[in-house]
Amino acid sequence: MTALTFRLELRRSRILAVGLAVVVLVYGGLIAAVYPILLTNTAMIQDYMKLFPKELMAAFGMSGSLADPGIFFTTYIGSFLWPVVAAIGAIALATRPAAADAERGWSDLPLGTPLTRGRYLGAAILCQVVVLAALAFVTVAGVLAVGTLVGAGFDPARFLAAGVVLWLFACAMAGVTSVVAVITLSRGVAASVTAGILIAMYLLNIVAQVQPDFAWLGDLTAFRYAGVGALIDRGAADWVGMGVFTVVAVVGWAASLFLFRRRDLLP
Amino acid sequence: MPEAIELRGLTRWYGKRRGVIELEADVHEGEVFGFLGPNGAGKTTTIRMLLGLIRPSGGSARILGMDPWAQAPAVHRQLAHLGSDPGYLGDLDATSLLDYLGALRGLQKGAWRSLAERLELDPTVPVKKLSRGNRQKVGVVSVFMGREPLLVMDEPSTGLDPLMQREFLALVAEARTDGRTVFLSSHNLPEVERACDRVAIIREGRLVKTATVAALVGDHTRSVNLVLGRPAPDAAFAMPGVTVLSSTGQDVHVMVRGDVNPLLRRLGELDVRDIAISTPDVEDLFFRYYEGTVAGSEGRPAAAAGPVIGGEAAR
Repeated sequence: MTALTFRLELRRSRILAVGLAVVVLVYGGLIAAVYPILLTNTAMIQDYMKLFPKELMAAFGMSGSLADPGIFFTTYIGSFLWPVVAAIGAIALATRPAAADAERGWSDLPLGTPLTRGRYLGAAILCQVVVLAALAFVTVAGVLAVGTLVGAGFDPARFLAAGVVLWLFACAMAGVTSVVAVITLSRGVAASVTAGILIAMYLLNIVAQVQPDFAWLGDLTAFRYAGVGALIDRGAADWVGMGVFTVVAVVGWAASLFLFRRRDLLP
Repeated sequence: MPEAIELRGLTRWYGKRRGVIELEADVHEGEVFGFLGPNGAGKTTTIRMLLGLIRPSGGSARILGMDPWAQAPAVHRQLAHLGSDPGYLGDLDATSLLDYLGALRGLQKGAWRSLAERLELDPTVPVKKLSRGNRQKVGVVSVFMGREPLLVMDEPSTGLDPLMQREFLALVAEARTDGRTVFLSSHNLPEVERACDRVAIIREGRLVKTATVAALVGDHTRSVNLVLGRPAPDAAFAMPGVTVLSSTGQDVHVMVRGDVNPLLRRLGELDVRDIAISTPDVEDLFFRYYEGTVAGSEGRPAAAAGPVIGGEAAR
């Protein structure tokens, strides 16, 4: 029964997954295609970048040279495109089983069969894990593929490792969204809460980077742990960051399962 | 042998808002039980508790002896359910939907095909492109495609055309013949009258009457229309159990409750040109229990709400 529901959830995710995959492939591919231009014009681009306020640089994770693949990837993908894509994917998927399907009256149908609530939500969580993993893989694979074609010299292993960080970041979003969705049974509320938390964290991260007195705030934001620049450029994995994302995701999903099995499913 | 459904003081509050209050009922195995009430009376709340989707605030419900909240999967192996407005996934066609729901109930792929043909449902059309009636057919097929001993349905025939309503009633009758129990929530009164063995009427969250359809209909209440050769004396119908609803002198409409013999004896003394005696239908009874509370909202003025019998109207 779990496998059946998982397959149905995957099927229902096709349009969302393909749409987001096209976005990250096209955008990532275009960005990777211009990387050699950045390499040959590094000095000029760095001079140009100095014209921008440091807050803006901090917001996009530009804390080094764009000629470095890690900084390049973080600037255009990791700190910009991926949080948006991951948020859309995580919110859409994680609000669906407990909130959107309850609101539309679909969840009553499978939950009126011998399928348990745990298996129903578990199958949906497994779908989130798989779809978000696929999106993270497509994101780095697109950049890698085009980078290879244009001779960018990206390190595939490090990029794929960065993909794991992107995936864990998205899973953490999904875990939090899932538990809010179970508590509220409202897709709108759950989506708003998650999006609000992300935007607040994004702003806090900027403040933390430009105001040394508030640097500690950075530790409270997911964006502190989502950087993959050091991983791609130096092979230095942020195990703490990955651990934080993993714990948040697992605790969020586990709490969702716990609460979903015990709460009233109001029409 | 446990009852198919037992409600014991079943109560549900949504904060301060009333859901249902102290419902007491038994649904026997193999019977078709109608659950009558208008929107907001508490029918869906009751069904959601029977399905274990929400918990009672007080009292208990048992399905075949099991607690639907604590033993939901075991209960769901014994019942098939159709909600009042199922939120089908519009992009799927009926084939995918019914195969999925059937597989969750342990049915083979395509177990629903003969029923779909019987109800003239095209299973290849995406659900979002189906008319309301055809979407309802998907639900009817879904609930009848298995062999569960208990069928719980909430407004199952809404949107079905008269032919399909007849087919639906035939399916209910076949289920009863097979020994299955049917719990049928409805405000389609003729449907309940034709399909059910017993009926419970719920009003503002409380059960106001549970009885067999035959007992309800034959509750010793008769509507008598008379055409007299000449006006009856003023006190002609002044007798226990008889209420004059209208009189124009020669045309008289009375309601008789209980023994009709005293009235018949009195009629023998009058110049009766014509007489029509009818039994109130479930609809009349339904409005009798709702007399004065829903007349406006149901679009039926109280004065026209069928036989009016004051004593039992609002308990």
